[in-house]
Amino acid sequence: MTTLDTGQMQKPDLAPRDNYLTHTRGAWSWLFTLDHKRIGIMYLVCVLSAFFVAGIFALLVRTQLLTPEGTIMGQDDYNQAFTLHGAIMVFLVIIPSIPAALGNFVLPIMLGAKDVAFPRLNLFSFWLWVSGALFFVLALVSGGLDTGWTFYTPYSTDPNSAMGGMIPAVTGAFVLGFSSIFTGMNFIVTIHRLRPPGMTWFRMPLFLWGIYATAILQVMATPVLGITLALLAVERAFGIGIFNPELGGDPVLYQHFFWFYSHPAVYIMILPGMAIISDLIAVHSHRHIFGYKFIAYSSIAIALFSFLVWGHHMFTSGQSPLVNVIFSAITFSVAIPSAIKVFNWLATMYKGSISWNTPMLYAMGFIFIFTIGGLTGLHLGTLATDIHLHDTYFVVAHFHYVMMGSALIAMIGGLHHWWPKITGKMYNENWGRFAFALVFIGFNVTFFTQFMLGSQGMPRRYATYPADAGFQIYHVISSIGSYILAVGFFVTAGYLLQSMFGGRRAPANPWGGRSLEWQCSSPPPHDNFSETPTVGDCYDFSVLEWNEDEQGYVWRSDIPHPGEEEPGGH
Amino acid sequence: MMSTLATILPAMLGDATGPTFWMPEAASSVAGEIDWILEFINVISYIFFFIIVFALVYLAVKYRRDPERKQISGDGPTHNMTLELTWTIIPTLIVLVIFWVGMVGYIDLRESPDDSYEVGVFAQKWQWTFSHPEYGVTEGGELTVPLGRPVRVIMTSADVLHAFFVPAFRVKQDIVPGRYSTLWFEATKPGSYQLYCAEYCGKDHSKMLATVRVLPEDEFQDAMGKLAREYEDLPDADLPRYALVRLYNRCSSCHSLDGSTGTAPSFKGLWDRTTGGSTVFTDGSSLKDHMGSGGEYEVPENYIRESILNPGKYVVENFTNVMPNNFASQLKPRQIEALVLMMKHMDELVDEDGNIIEPPETEEPKESAMTETTGDGG
Repeated sequence: MTTLDTGQMQKPDLAPRDNYLTHTRGAWSWLFTLDHKRIGIMYLVCVLSAFFVAGIFALLVRTQLLTPEGTIMGQDDYNQAFTLHGAIMVFLVIIPSIPAALGNFVLPIMLGAKDVAFPRLNLFSFWLWVSGALFFVLALVSGGLDTGWTFYTPYSTDPNSAMGGMIPAVTGAFVLGFSSIFTGMNFIVTIHRLRPPGMTWFRMPLFLWGIYATAILQVMATPVLGITLALLAVERAFGIGIFNPELGGDPVLYQHFFWFYSHPAVYIMILPGMAIISDLIAVHSHRHIFGYKFIAYSSIAIALFSFLVWGHHMFTSGQSPLVNVIFSAITFSVAIPSAIKVFNWLATMYKGSISWNTPMLYAMGFIFIFTIGGLTGLHLGTLATDIHLHDTYFVVAHFHYVMMGSALIAMIGGLHHWWPKITGKMYNENWGRFAFALVFIGFNVTFFTQFMLGSQGMPRRYATYPADAGFQIYHVISSIGSYILAVGFFVTAGYLLQSMFGGRRAPANPWGGRSLEWQCSSPPPHDNFSETPTVGDCYDFSVLEWNEDEQGYVWRSDIPHPGEEEPGGH
Repeated sequence: MMSTLATILPAMLGDATGPTFWMPEAASSVAGEIDWILEFINVISYIFFFIIVFALVYLAVKYRRDPERKQISGDGPTHNMTLELTWTIIPTLIVLVIFWVGMVGYIDLRESPDDSYEVGVFAQKWQWTFSHPEYGVTEGGELTVPLGRPVRVIMTSADVLHAFFVPAFRVKQDIVPGRYSTLWFEATKPGSYQLYCAEYCGKDHSKMLATVRVLPEDEFQDAMGKLAREYEDLPDADLPRYALVRLYNRCSSCHSLDGSTGTAPSFKGLWDRTTGGSTVFTDGSSLKDHMGSGGEYEVPENYIRESILNPGKYVVENFTNVMPNNFASQLKPRQIEALVLMMKHMDELVDEDGNIIEPPETEEPKESAMTETTGDGG
């Protein structure tokens, strides 16, 4: 039986050695690399750039709404700003953020593998992402995009209504869909085929369960989006009636198609977030995860239920009341696995030894924010109250609590968690905590006010609003929150970038994690592991101890590695 | 049982209809029940939120790691089937109750009483037209409804999706082109309530507002009578002002009065441009080519008339035609006449900045009542 390359762990080697960053040099070696780690980094850079752009649009939207008549933009410009904010955040940022950027980096290492199952397909996925992004740029220069990220018909297919960038934009979303499908396929095969000796399904880190459930959704739901967007483009370009009633089509059909993908897409965004949090809580509480199987099964349950609830986006669309009642009932079933996860995370903290470092703060912030996001889902899943709340800021607040406050916060928590592994450098912990405070406070100030705004009746996607409806005070508070949030992100970008040049050298295992990525050096070598390691229970942290020389955790000398017979034997 | 509970409890709690922290003023028969359901879910949410956040903070503080003692690792239980089943089953029962309460409330929202008063709603970018089939009248920018009678709204759209949303009534329904959709409400408080378009419909989506005016039965009958008669009884001299205050709100989202260019040409100076023939069309011809003896628009008024009834025929240069072509069915001949006269007399009706000049004091009461009912634009 093969064993882990334990030499580097027991005798820390601080001398510079070959790693994936220094393995080859030059732009070409990056752009056409097959190394999952470099592809992950390229995704990360691109996704964060798109996040910056879409964040600027968000700030424009918030600034516009400071005054009832609009502060900085006309109606058309505002409509473009919120459309681009939504479309970029969804298609270019949140969907690829955790699976494609962090997942690509971490997943094969967690499996002790040298790479994903199909490295070339992986690179192709990345370049599809870049092409999709270019199509969005093309949409901007060919007339703009003002349909909202949902591309609702008949507005989107009527040349007299939607702006000219419609076809490039749906082409972009179509191409991005394939990027997502290929990533999902790659991960499914990788998890099935490349698990190391000792890693049964129920010994996988929960991050992998989450990514696996996500990949199923990506592969099964995204093709429906592709077909739908293709039909949309055909209708717009050639006037073939599919969704437009003037041509004999049905606009509500489009909504069914769209949400059949886009509701699972919500879980494509949140499941990887939950996956990260499960690992963060366990590692930084230095304590075995509580209820492993319930967390793992709940990921799969969420993935399956998510295919059956799309109609809850359409309670006011005109679908029949009976259908609404059925969708409402099924919708509540999703609440249960989400609640199970939250309770299991809390139980994991019980009797833990909780480090209040930046990743753990983000994980705890996630629990707080996701609780609010989940509980306000009850108001929206309930038919009687959804009728009033639908298409108001209550919905805007709810999905920002889930998609931004939960999915993206988890992504940032995960970025801090794996930053030492990715870059080989430690960031400044105090700056990290300070930026977390700004992000957490800014986020809640921005979006909690929007619950009141919405339940008081403020509709979504309004460039202006009546001055006498009492909305302005909420808008002002919300906008101030968004500026705090922006400062938090700039501070984060600042100290992370600084750490790359001035940061302390990261040990192999700074936090005390036991999944395999913490058992190779930081940053990992080009091939991750020279020999395929054997794994045990990745949440049993009692095998690790703090090593003062290394400033990190190492395997206890009196405990054998999995697959070894004698303590410390080699 | 749940529905009785849902009706009894609000009554026990006192029938507050003013705005609360969460909800706006309540002014319809269903609002009490909806607000009760919302508060019910709120209470459940508060309880869960405080349990979770208390546990989170308590555990984080109590089990905080001493940064100097890095050797310690936690050792709590790794699973507990009883606990897992408890926090699976209790939330399941709770959400079942919430679902049931919400379903019962929803059925009340959707099933309109048989004796409802019927109103037609016609939505188009970016204006509302309301019709009262019983009285054969239409209004724009303002929907007048009777107090204490169920009102059934039958809605359709000329172009894209819109949605009818009155927060004070807690009702909302999408309006889909090519089909009818419906909702009902019974207003319980006289007054004016904001109506929004809640489904994104393009450029002036946020300007697609109207008011719902709730009147006691006798005042409602008077208002309908006035609407039915107003333009038939008016002296010709009052027609231009009638068109400006009662009809222009269906034009205002595209045609300005102050000369600014919107989606469509401004009405300011339109009559001069028409008689002068200076307007140039997208096909390259100018209005002058179609005027003069034997021309299509020998009488310039015909150009205005044609532009209202058949807007796509000649489109002014630099614009695209997005105007609905259904005004022929919405406007009576005398209303079209009023609109033509409004164009001719625009200089007397509005000032340089497009503000409506108030009529002299010696107006008849009917005229002032008319001005009062001006909606805030479609």
